[in-house]
Amino acid sequence: MGARMSSEMPGFGLATVLAVGIQILGAAFLYLILKAEGGWQVIGLLALLAAGFYLIEKRPQITEYVTASFSRVPVVALVTAVIVVVLFPFAVGNNTYVLHLLIVAQLYAVLALALNFQLGSANIPNFATGASYGIGAYVSALLAINFGLSFWLTLPAAAIAATLFGFLIGIPSMRTRDTYLALVTIAFGVVVQQLLNNFDWTGGPNGLVGIPAPSLFGHSFADPLVVFGWKLPSQANFYYLSALLVVVAIITAHRLHSSRIGLAWNALRADEIAARAQGINVAWFKVLAFAVDAFLAAFAGTIYAFYVSYISPDNFTFLVSVTIMTMVIVGGMDNIFGVIVGAFLLTILPEKLRAFSDYRLLFFGIVIIGFLMIRPQGLFPQRIRSYGESR
Amino acid sequence: MSALLEVTDATMRFGGLVALNAVSFSIGRGEVLAVIGPNGAGKSTLFNVVTGVYRPTSGQVRFDDADITGRPSHEVVARGIGRTFQTSRLFSDLSVLDNVIIGMHTRTKTGVLGALFLPGASRREMAACVETAEILLKASSGDLFEQRHRPAGTLAQADRRRLEIARALASEPKLLLLDEPSVGMDEVETDALIADISRLRTERPELSVILIEHDMRVVEAFPDQVMCVDYGSKIAEGDFARVKSDPRVQEAYLGKAAVHA
Repeated sequence: MGARMSSEMPGFGLATVLAVGIQILGAAFLYLILKAEGGWQVIGLLALLAAGFYLIEKRPQITEYVTASFSRVPVVALVTAVIVVVLFPFAVGNNTYVLHLLIVAQLYAVLALALNFQLGSANIPNFATGASYGIGAYVSALLAINFGLSFWLTLPAAAIAATLFGFLIGIPSMRTRDTYLALVTIAFGVVVQQLLNNFDWTGGPNGLVGIPAPSLFGHSFADPLVVFGWKLPSQANFYYLSALLVVVAIITAHRLHSSRIGLAWNALRADEIAARAQGINVAWFKVLAFAVDAFLAAFAGTIYAFYVSYISPDNFTFLVSVTIMTMVIVGGMDNIFGVIVGAFLLTILPEKLRAFSDYRLLFFGIVIIGFLMIRPQGLFPQRIRSYGESR
Repeated sequence: MSALLEVTDATMRFGGLVALNAVSFSIGRGEVLAVIGPNGAGKSTLFNVVTGVYRPTSGQVRFDDADITGRPSHEVVARGIGRTFQTSRLFSDLSVLDNVIIGMHTRTKTGVLGALFLPGASRREMAACVETAEILLKASSGDLFEQRHRPAGTLAQADRRRLEIARALASEPKLLLLDEPSVGMDEVETDALIADISRLRTERPELSVILIEHDMRVVEAFPDQVMCVDYGSKIAEGDFARVKSDPRVQEAYLGKAAVHA
């Protein structure tokens, strides 16, 4: 255990209570905000959230202590997380709108985790994640519609196509950086969207219609999900599918972050010249970040296409890329948990602020600025790596 | 036996400016070479040519019986040349330990697929890195080891310098290039630095060191081989006593009038 921990370590009992309790509290909060109706309920919950972040900003020991609790009882924490995620749709019941929000939030969480490899780990401003997302969606949709390929086969095909695209944008990125690199990626994103809009075989501005629902062991994802007599709406299928993808994204992010690759990206972020002097092939690691980003984004795109069964270029605009970037910045650069929280917050908030009708976006902006004022480094900032701990 | 590093007629031009003018020198295994010269004489350019940051306009760099002229930096590091920078370039938002581990980049080999599908191997590799890094930090003078979990940006100046050296050593270099390691240090710290380098030499008799120095106390401590550079050209070479008494060196440092006065 890290000798630097000045505060005492939590005991097993307390750690268990904290690891279970905090997750249930978090889930309850998510449930409440999803169910909230009317402006005042939403404002009240946001105020509560802001107060919480204010508290951990003023008392950083709290975060340290809670993190220590989670790594003290990793199995308990993990089992609780799985139970919470699996049971959540049962609590939501037949509210398909809430399930829809959760699916979109999870897909955005994957996209934000994908971008985090670049923006968070390596400080590469990539504004083309939306384009990779779109390429994933279009490739899988085209394969399914034209060749009758099943969802499970289009998934890897779309990922490979998008990864090649990632390498393609990566190449000019080897020679540019910072603002110039951002411009190159913006250009790529716009080009992709324009191509989707103008090709005949992509359906032009009308997009692609009639993407068949995936099925697994004879169960079509368009049918309601029946578990032990409980009947969940068909969206629940996609809820679990996207939850699984989030897990894959978390594992990918965690493994890369804690390996030599993550360190090399961090070195690149801190000082490119010094990174080069440590023997890091800077150009290759930049391109690699683009490829990993595109790979994960394509998975999210594929699930999205099969979920809504209708895609058009409007789903993958520059604005989508900006939204994903905001999620990473608000949630916390290079912090897996923070990025996921950012994605959920920024997906759910605009929907919940519909109560303010015309002033919705104004209010949304104010809330984001407010959170960044409370937590300037993001809701959950990057952490110094710790070694030898159980995780 | 052939030299470890051999630079032949290295010339570096930036437009009309000749930063290095046909400089030749060599260093054998286990030797220390001090490079002195006024500011802007081309000492750092020399390092950049050796480490592949710049490709020389003409001339050749041979290291360990291979031509490395203009090879990319990452390859040069992998071949065994480690360096520090004049203004310290640590990864300031990463921990002291991580800085040293990144120094081992060329000595580790997990790729993306390895990290994703063989997490056990990747974890073992990192654990081994942590172990080696801790040994390096313990071996360094001062209390770097005790501060290993702190962000490198919060270290004091002397510790930053030590960490840069530890990070360079992490790549298991055969040749270590130190660019003005004593800059910004007081007398006590400079003495500690001299002691550090001397100890390094006894612990690693095979390691060669090239030092760029302004502080003559450091140069005096390693007086066997000194080279003086001015306006991009080598103007003197030999042991410290000889270089010091060379009229051209005195001229470079003190000006013509002072020498002839």
